[in-house]
Amino acid sequence: MKKLIFLGLLLFLSTAFSGLQADELDDQVRQIAHKLRCPTCQGLSVKESEAGLADNMKAKIRSLLEEGKTEEEILQFFVDRYGEWILRSPQMKGFNLLLWLAPGTLIFLTCLILFFKMRQKSITTLKPEAINPLNEEELAQIEKELQNLNRN
Amino acid sequence: MNRKVYFLGGSIAILGLLGLLLYGVFYASNPKSIPSALIDKKASAFTVTTFDGKTISLEEFKGKPVILNFWASWCVACRKEAHIIEAAHQKYTPQGAVFIGIAINDTREDSLKFIRRYGKSYKLAPDDKVGNISLNYGITAVPETFFIDKEGIIRYKTLGAVTADSMEEFLENQLRS
Repeated sequence: MKKLIFLGLLLFLSTAFSGLQADELDDQVRQIAHKLRCPTCQGLSVKESEAGLADNMKAKIRSLLEEGKTEEEILQFFVDRYGEWILRSPQMKGFNLLLWLAPGTLIFLTCLILFFKMRQKSITTLKPEAINPLNEEELAQIEKELQNLNRN
Repeated sequence: MNRKVYFLGGSIAILGLLGLLLYGVFYASNPKSIPSALIDKKASAFTVTTFDGKTISLEEFKGKPVILNFWASWCVACRKEAHIIEAAHQKYTPQGAVFIGIAINDTREDSLKFIRRYGKSYKLAPDDKVGNISLNYGITAVPETFFIDKEGIIRYKTLGAVTADSMEEFLENQLRS
């Protein structure tokens, strides 16, 4: 009886473990497929597409993962055969670096220029000659309020 | 001084953007065409069992120009090109060219029906279930045809129905040299 329970437990654990492994593999396939452009459909990733070729690509990703290939190696496999356009995000190297860095650099430079421009303007507006001195009436009012404060 | 710096910076930025625009319009690839990363590269080796049960591999045809066509029975353009490839096969195979057709994402039954319907008689085989051969050739759709030279290098690729002229030009060149 004990043996039977032990065997049952073993069977349950191995099934649960293989299920977890399959789930993990499915997740990895989906993750990589999401980074690849479907060659036969416009604007869809391999993950989203149900075209025959996209299914083939998903099966190939799975078989390459089972062979122990890394995500990088699998993406390179497709780049070697299809060219870089198969990737949904261009790689960060060569001419592509310009595409990645240009928008951020432009925004940063614009902010920098605006910051210096505004700073320069505020300094200019605070120049002594630009400040209107208080007139006698205002000075008297301030004095009066200060005296009131001291009394309290 | 400041005005000069801003003017210079602005001019460089505008010139840079204009340069990118010109590059995109005149030199970057056509967004409507799908470039092949395999042109002028060695054709990927493969071994398949043809529909009539013979095992063939690309390697065994080294020294001969090869027309490698990917097709499917459900593909409309494949119907258009079927007789064109068959006619080229009838003309150039006796002269030393090789014609191979790989059926992708198709059932064996439908492929055989298509072969009989269009009288295809060159080397025809199905790709495997994963589509390893078509993926190795970076297939984007069917039909696609690769022109492989006598050294086993891919020289040209067509997307859509292949024309008699393109095959004739390539094969005449290869068979005469």
